[in-house]
Formats: sequence, C-alpha cells, structure tokens
Amino acid sequence: MSYHIDGSRNSCALHGALQLIEAIEGAVPVIHSNAGCGLQHYLGVNRLGPGTDPYGGPPVSSSNITEKHVVFGGSSRLREQLKNTVKVVEGELYFIVSGCSTEMVGDDIPAMTKEGLDQSFPVVYANTPGFRGAVHQGYELAAKALIEQLPSLSKDKPEQAENLVNIWGIIPHQDPFWAGNLEELGRLLEGIGLRPNLLVGYGHGPEDWRCVPDAVLNIVVSVWGEAPARLLEERYGTPFLVVEGLPVGPAAGRLLRAVTDLLGLDASRTERFVEAEEKRLDRQLSGLADTFYRAGFQREFALVGESSQVVGLGEFLTRSLGLLPRTLIVTDNPTDEARSVIKERLAALVEDWDAEVFFSEDHAEISDLVVSGGATLVLGSALEGKAAETLGVPFLPVSFPLADRVVIDRGYAGYRGVAALLEDLGSAILARPHQ
Amino acid sequence: MSYLKTKTPRIREKRLDTLNAWLGPAKSAVGEFAGDEAVQRIRTFSQSTNDDVLHALRILSRIENSVTVIHAPRGCAAGALYHKLALGQGNWLVTNLDQKDTIMGADRKLRKAVTSAHRTYRPEVLFILSSPVAAINNDDIQAVVDELQDELELPVIPVFVTGFASRNAVTGYDIVLHSILRQLVRGREAGERNGRVNLLSVTEHRADIQEITRLLTALGLELNILPDHATPGSFVQATGARLSLSLNQDAENYLGTVLRDEYGVPYQAPGRPVGIEATGQWLVAAGKAAGLEQAAAELHRQESARIGRELGDFSLSGVRVYLSLPPGMAFSVASLVEEFGGEIAGITVSHLDVLHKARLEDIASRHPSLQIHVADGQPFEELNILRRIGPDLYIGDGNHLGQVGRLGIPVVSLEHSRLLGYDGTLILCRRISVVLKNRSFGQRLASVALPYKESWLQRSPNWHIKKEVK
Repeated sequence: MSYHIDGSRNSCALHGALQLIEAIEGAVPVIHSNAGCGLQHYLGVNRLGPGTDPYGGPPVSSSNITEKHVVFGGSSRLREQLKNTVKVVEGELYFIVSGCSTEMVGDDIPAMTKEGLDQSFPVVYANTPGFRGAVHQGYELAAKALIEQLPSLSKDKPEQAENLVNIWGIIPHQDPFWAGNLEELGRLLEGIGLRPNLLVGYGHGPEDWRCVPDAVLNIVVSVWGEAPARLLEERYGTPFLVVEGLPVGPAAGRLLRAVTDLLGLDASRTERFVEAEEKRLDRQLSGLADTFYRAGFQREFALVGESSQVVGLGEFLTRSLGLLPRTLIVTDNPTDEARSVIKERLAALVEDWDAEVFFSEDHAEISDLVVSGGATLVLGSALEGKAAETLGVPFLPVSFPLADRVVIDRGYAGYRGVAALLEDLGSAILARPHQ
Repeated sequence: MSYLKTKTPRIREKRLDTLNAWLGPAKSAVGEFAGDEAVQRIRTFSQSTNDDVLHALRILSRIENSVTVIHAPRGCAAGALYHKLALGQGNWLVTNLDQKDTIMGADRKLRKAVTSAHRTYRPEVLFILSSPVAAINNDDIQAVVDELQDELELPVIPVFVTGFASRNAVTGYDIVLHSILRQLVRGREAGERNGRVNLLSVTEHRADIQEITRLLTALGLELNILPDHATPGSFVQATGARLSLSLNQDAENYLGTVLRDEYGVPYQAPGRPVGIEATGQWLVAAGKAAGLEQAAAELHRQESARIGRELGDFSLSGVRVYLSLPPGMAFSVASLVEEFGGEIAGITVSHLDVLHKARLEDIASRHPSLQIHVADGQPFEELNILRRIGPDLYIGDGNHLGQVGRLGIPVVSLEHSRLLGYDGTLILCRRISVVLKNRSFGQRLASVALPYKESWLQRSPNWHIKKEVK
C-alpha cells in the first residue's frame, strides 16, 4: 500500500531505469509510453542533478502513444519505433522500457523484443511502469534485465579479466555525485590490485556489462545494490560484500581491508596503500584545523539523503570531524528489515548520544523535522534549503535533487572525496559566519 | 453557455486544426488550413516531448495560494519538482498510485491526499490533476470534487489531462483554463464592470510581466493579470473587465475567447510585444482598445528612442538565423530578427494552427520558399535540417539545445529568459551580440558526435512524417 507524498524527491520506476540506461555509454533507451514520460524524467531528474546529460537533451527515442494505442493496443507502434530507432539513433544496445499506459493496456513488450532479436537488433527490455515503484525499483529492474538478457545476446564473450570487481547500488543522478564517487572507489580498488568494473559513466558501455559474470566479487554500496548482487550469486556463485553506507575517509580504508581479507590479496600492499591515503588525509585535516576552530565547524547537524549517504557522510562527520548528529532523515524508502539495521548504525555513531533518525520522503514532513530539530548546520537536498533558511544556519546541498549546483565529476566517497566535502562544507560555513 | 458545459474543451486538433508534424515551404503551409479540416500527420519515429500533463503542471505552478494534487504514480510529478526548484513555485502532492491502485481504483487515496493538502497549505484553491493512469482507470475524480468542495469550503478544480488524448501539448493549457472557468465562473452573471484590463499571461517570465505592467500602467490602465500569479478572485474579476489583452495567443487564446463569447469582454490579440516596432504596435493596439491611442504612441516614441540609444549600432545584417520556438514566439522573434537586418534561415514551430494563418500568409508572400518545420522537440529532424541549412545563429527554447550546440552553431536560449517589451528587446540583443562575438564553446562542442546515425542525417528530414491512416 502506497501513500500520497508531498513534494516527492523519488521519481518513478521508469525514470529509475532510464537513469541507469542513460549512464551506460552506447545504450539507447526506447521508451514505450506517452510523449511526456521521457521529458518528465529529463526535467525532474536530469536537470536537477546537472552536468551529466549524455544526449544533450531528453531521451532520444519514445513511441509517444496516443488515444488510438490506448484503445486498440500499441504493440505495433512499438515494433515500428524500435525498427526506426535502430536506423536513426547511434547505439550498441537498445533497451525498451515501458510506461504505465502501455502496461495497463497490456502491450506485449517481450514479444516485440523477440521480434527485434529475430532481426538481429541488439535489444533488451524491462517492464518499468511508474506504478511499479520508485527510481530505486527501476534501477533494480533495469539491472536485472541486463544481467538476465545480455548473456544470450552475443555469442562472442569479451576476454576474461582477472580480479574483476563489480560495484552496485550507486544510482546515477539519484546520487548526484555518482560519477565522481564511482571513479574514486575504482581508484582505491585499483590501488590494492583489483580491476574495478564501474558499469556506468565515462567509458563504460555494454561491454563492461557482459563482463559482469566474470567478477570475483560484487561490492554493494547501498541497499539498492543487493538485488543484483543476490541475482549474480544465484546465477554465477559470485560472493558479495555489503558496505555500510558510502565509504568516506577511514571507512574506505576499512572497505579495502575487508576486500583484501575476503579475496586473500596481498595484505601488506593494502596496508601501504591505505596508510599513504590516511597520511594525506591527516595532512589535509591539520591544515584545515585553524579555520575549523575559528569558524566553528563542530556543530549539530541535520542530514537528509539516501540511506547510503546518511550512513556514509554521517559516519565521517561524526567520527572524523567531531560533529554531532541532531536530525538524520533517510529518504529512499529502504525495506523494514534494512531500516532496523540502518537505524542501529546511525544511533551508534556517537557514544551516549541519541541522534533522531527518521524515514520519510514527504517534503512537508521533512522540512518540519529539520526545523523542529534545531540543527546548526543542514546537509540535504535543495528541498531543504528553506528549512536551513528558517533556522538561519549554513546549508550544503548534497543529495538529490540539486538546484543551484553543477556537478561533473565531484564526489564525496573515498579519500579524495573528503577533500571535496571539506571544501564544500567549509565554504558553506564560511559564507555564514558563526552566530 | 456553450464552451463550459463539457468536462474538457475540444482538443486543439479539433478546435483549431492544430498540426504537430509537418515540413515544407511557407507557401504550402498556408494551404494546409484552406480546407474544412487540416490533414493530420504522424511520425513513425519520435522522441519524448511535452504533453498536456506537463503543460498543465507548468501553468498550475503559477496560480497563487494554490496547491495541486497530482493523481498519478510518482513520475508524473517529476516536472512539478523541477518547477518547484528551478522557479521556486508550486506546492503539490502526488497520490503515488501503485500497481494495486491501477486495478482497484484509488478514489480513497485521492480523498486523503486532498484533505492532507488542504491541512498543510490552507490554500485558496485546490487542483486535482488527472494523469494517464487515472484516465485509463477511469477514477471518479468528479465524485471526490463534489464531496470535498463542500466539506473543505474551497473550490476544488479537477483538471482532466490524459497524456494521450491530444498530440498537442498546448491542449494542456486549454484544459486548465477551461477547468478553472468551469468551476469558478460558469453559471454566474458577468462580474461587476470594473474598468480593468485583463492581461492574459501564461508562463511568462516574471520580469517580462513587470515590463509590460510598467508600460500599461504608464498609460494609466489598471490591470488584472491572469492566469500567471492569479488568485481565484482574478478569474471572477476577469468576467467584468473592459478588455482582455493577449501576450501570447498560442497559450491563452482559449481564455480570451471564452471571456469574449460568454461574458462579452472584448479580446485583443495583437502579435507578441517582441522587438521595438512590434512592442510599439502592441502598445498602440492596447491603447486603441482602451481609448488611449495618442498616449500609447507617445510612450512608444519615448521608449524606442531610449532603447535605440542603448542598442547603439547593433545589427544582424548578414546573419542567417534559425528559430525553433512555439509559433507565436517564432513569428515575433522572426520580426525582431528582420527589424535588425537579419535573415530567417528556417523555422521550427512546436505546432501550427489557424491562429497563425495571417502570419503564415505574410511570411509566404515575402519568403515563399522559407522552410517551416512543425515539431515539438524531435531534435532528430531538426538537426538533420540544421546540418543542411547551416545557419549563423540559433534561437530556441527547447530541451535539446545541447544537441544543437554540437553542430557548432551559436545558440541563444529563450527558456525562462526575458524577451518582452523594450527592455526585453535590449536584453535579447545583448545576448545575441555576445554569442556571435565569441564562438569558441560551439567550436569546441562540434567535436562531440551527434547521437544520430550518419545514414539518418543523409535522409530527407521528413522521412518519418506520414499521413495518418484512419
């Protein structure tokens, strides 16, 4: 049972699927739905996490069904659209995604996909009507479709790579810093001798997805990466490692050590690598110390974002920077089971200090919680700007949706991400001197 | 009361013979509207674009003291999230329909959302926006309206958009305006004559509205601006106004027409006040209708002298300009380009209908072979055309300017930008000067591949436009 939401920041399953597909270079989404579905996605998702639109505009193919198709069915319109997409749009993989109308009418998406395959089009599909869930479910559905359908698409497999590790759970755009976060996690894994398979972003195309079964490990960075990891364990026996939130600073070192342990890698190499990163971080923190004290960085903060962000950023802010969590709000609707784990982690961030932890995606409710919590620093999405304004405290937009920030390859994950976070957080605090 | 009897107005295709897919020379475009009914064409390949839901969200986000309940799955609210953050306007809830709701219906959920919206915002008016799912499911929105309107003691206005009934997104504007009038003023006597002038403004830039207000106030006119930033009272007041003045017929023609035909408010629809000359003509037409012709002409003399001084030697002589805009915008910006000595290289309009007949005839008489392309979005066709024409400047307001840039053409975006009146003209001309002076960004972008196949770009751009088989 779903409930109404005020100012929802989590768009629909179709849009979640599009977020993943658009981030795969050479993959072309073919939307089978109303004309507006793709543009809703462009306005309400791409434009609110700006700087990373691959096409220079909204998705390049959409069947734009009309009344006729709603009444008589739109399968033949999809057939025509797919055939012509392959002729018009450059791509290595065409990915049919369906919207609410065509699913309610009962168009046969698998049959149309099969017809395309019979004509040797490289095509896969996922049933992604918006009413099936939020972006997070859309990400899961699209990832599942790729895992299940790609192997039969092409006989010649790419050369098997050694020490390959897939990273799951970072949803493009829904994490506005997805590209930078993935690049940094990749850099760290390379540092301990692994070959990271980032799957999305610059230079990552369908070929990378075809290598997915060859991985020695699947790393799961948010609760939304668990479904693909479980599916891969089931199909290929690949083990997976669930990370407690986005690894920021020392948590990244912990991840590298755990992976080293699990895969039996050269432990002394990992230690040397992590120590070098930690030393660099020490230097950065000590260099910042004067400003840190002068501007009063140690505040009580409110943090609003997806579960992996709240856990990851929350841990760094409390355990490395000495801030106190006042109001923590998780917006991505994790399952009840996941909620209790997340709540436990967040409650234990600072000893003898009970942070208030909430799960909500309702803008009106979140604003009320942030304001009544009385934090002296707010980190959240652009939607929380007004609450910070009401409190009269510094505000740093870190989660989806963003409105006044351009993000290209900035990220807050890993060790490099710490510097970016300190720069942004410090600038926000300096722009509003201590009360 | 002929217009407001039905739940929704007739779709644009039926009401104004509106076309959304066409390509050809200006002289043939005129002929499309010569017969009884324009021949509709469809695309065998298409790209995502606006629909009536998105246009409705756009207009509703600007009604003051209102809240909109979007009766749909989450994704239909994405555009509303954009308006809320990019333009800082519009309160809304989404009923967040799930799979079960698509089978069982969701009237109860809607009722709860409306009550909650009312509790949170205490609005003056509440809208319920339908959606593809609600339309296919045939949810009884009207029953919820009837019940809650009395209970909550405020107007609850259902807006029956579908996302598929019309190929022309502007139908969404008609539906919103129709719904507001139907709920707020139908069956009432015309409001008390109040001597005000209705300034019909749909999704105009705030600063543009200020510029026009400045000019009309200088003439001594008292304005009732709607639907942008209007309250329910503005619509009631509109029925007793002395005159309705159009800023952009494409968007508000329905409002002007109904106020004229049902309440006897004269409707003046001169071209948009874009460029110095056209602003003068618009102002004089406005003045004339209000019996202030002399004052308007005098104001124009003063203002045009001021802008002329500020513009200095600005000229578009020798510059070939491509326009991709909604029709009323396109034709008015075309006049501005010609006013400064530029040449129109081609035009893409989001739709075309009988409202544009006179402008088309004028263009056809001067440039019979000028190519007119009718497409809302559809950059695959537009880029094909642009590669052939190779203009020196592109002015558009679409969502695909990032693709146009990859052709190395200097681009000026008119989305959310100032354009109207004397000050708007000045700002636009300055922006044009900058992009023409330094083309380095476009030159750099030109090395990025287009998302289309070369074989498509070699094909005739109207390849996928076909006559509809009924």
